[in-house]
Amino acid sequence: MSATSTLALVAADSPASVGAVATALTALVDGGAAPLQIGELEDWAFVFRNADYLIGGALMTVGLTVASILLGFLVGFPAGAVETYGEGLPKRLVESVGVVLRGTPIVVILVFMYFVLGVPSIDLGVVTLSGAVMSGILGLGLRSAAYQSQIFRATLGSVDDGQLEAARAVGMSQLEAIRHVAVPQALRRSVPGFQNEFTIVLKDTSIVFAIGLAELLTRSYDLFVERTTAVLEVIIFISAIYFVLTFTTNRALDYLGEYYAIPGGESA
Amino acid sequence: MSDADSNPDADANADADANDAAESGDRDYLRVADISKWYGDEQVLDDVSFEMDRGDVTVLIGPSGSGKSTMLRCVNRLAEAQEGEIFLDGEEVTAPDVDVDELRREVGMVFQDFNLFAHLTALDNVALGPRRVLDLSEAEADERAHAQLERVGLADQTDSYPAELSGGQKQRVGIARALAMEPKLMLFDEPTSALDPELIGEVLEVMHDLVADGMTMLVVTHEMSFARAVADEIVFLDEGRVVERGPPEQLFDNPEKERTARFLDRIASHD
Repeated sequence: MSATSTLALVAADSPASVGAVATALTALVDGGAAPLQIGELEDWAFVFRNADYLIGGALMTVGLTVASILLGFLVGFPAGAVETYGEGLPKRLVESVGVVLRGTPIVVILVFMYFVLGVPSIDLGVVTLSGAVMSGILGLGLRSAAYQSQIFRATLGSVDDGQLEAARAVGMSQLEAIRHVAVPQALRRSVPGFQNEFTIVLKDTSIVFAIGLAELLTRSYDLFVERTTAVLEVIIFISAIYFVLTFTTNRALDYLGEYYAIPGGESA
Repeated sequence: MSDADSNPDADANADADANDAAESGDRDYLRVADISKWYGDEQVLDDVSFEMDRGDVTVLIGPSGSGKSTMLRCVNRLAEAQEGEIFLDGEEVTAPDVDVDELRREVGMVFQDFNLFAHLTALDNVALGPRRVLDLSEAEADERAHAQLERVGLADQTDSYPAELSGGQKQRVGIARALAMEPKLMLFDEPTSALDPELIGEVLEVMHDLVADGMTMLVVTHEMSFARAVADEIVFLDEGRVVERGPPEQLFDNPEKERTARFLDRIASHD
């Protein structure tokens, strides 16, 4: 695999990183580097010497992902419920905000949060989250909420109306019927969509580099600018980290889905 | 049989007043008075009136689209009538300030498509209402659910999920779910129409038992032999209007209206 094709791949994955890629590319051309080899021992040694630095970035990635997915769930689930069962102004409002958030590039949302809104830092006692981290969580989390709301809108809507009617017929209020009958079934059906959303958010955390946060991908740029022959090795290393993160989480969600699967299927 | 049958006076009254309910003094446990309903411009119920005594079984029959199910659903306010009034045990259920959730605790409903809660076992399907609506403790609700499942012959299926049950079993869970609320009145909306023919019998058997227990039942069905066997009154609806009503032997054997006779002929030719 040649250096340029690898870099083109990276560039295609995260459009926001074009600047950093260009820097690395220039360094490569200036250095007149030959096509990279996978087996360069010294380059691998360089990667492992800096593994701590990369794993530190991975922790930032995980932290941002968990916080954003959680915020996305807490906001997106009620939003999906309002879109499914609501009417009038609240429904239109939620729909409109969702359209705007889904229609705006994530890098624009992040830049808006950090540079325009100037989201402040928060002191949680054990740790202080900087304004940039808070902007990242808010930006990624609200955008995830906009997408998660559509997962839940679809799955809540897929629960047979007859079941809700049967719940109303024994005297439950609409809210009770939704809570005890629709929600438990909708959550089960949301697992596959949620797996996608998790994977997307995890990879999109890389874009917080635009507001100066050093997560996994940003730190890998630092490294291959420093040692231009190690680009492929660094990318393989961080890809492995991304793979482990997405694979284990997806397997865990698979397991969750199977554990809560309704015996015999979903027909009632 | 029902209370009405064990009381000769009530029975005589029922016969005399079958076509003139307005004058009835005691047949007013459920009183449906001049109910009309429109979906947009289309009138689906037109001045429907009938009455039931406590323990009565009334069967609504009629061609599809005649408004039978809609009429049934007006009684527990799953559908709203635009005109007319319905009284249950002296309370006006159609009054605008009625708490519909409270009303529905007292009116059980069994659906054509069962509408069981797919994520819950048979026991939890039946216990959910007592738990969440009647605020019974987990143990009390489970005990009540057990008893009702036993009543419909499903004591050995309490842990089965709906998808693991046959149609007949599902419908019996549906009946147990409604009974667990200890309703004053049971509504049955074509309870056997979605069932394979060989499964209809087990559901009708349970319904026969309920009749024997004195349950007040308003039933929409095409099972004419069941209607003939248990109904105190048959109400024949067509195009949203009551064409004719009366005791089964009169309505089935000597219908007064030509429209009724034609409908019964068509049904009979399918048996």
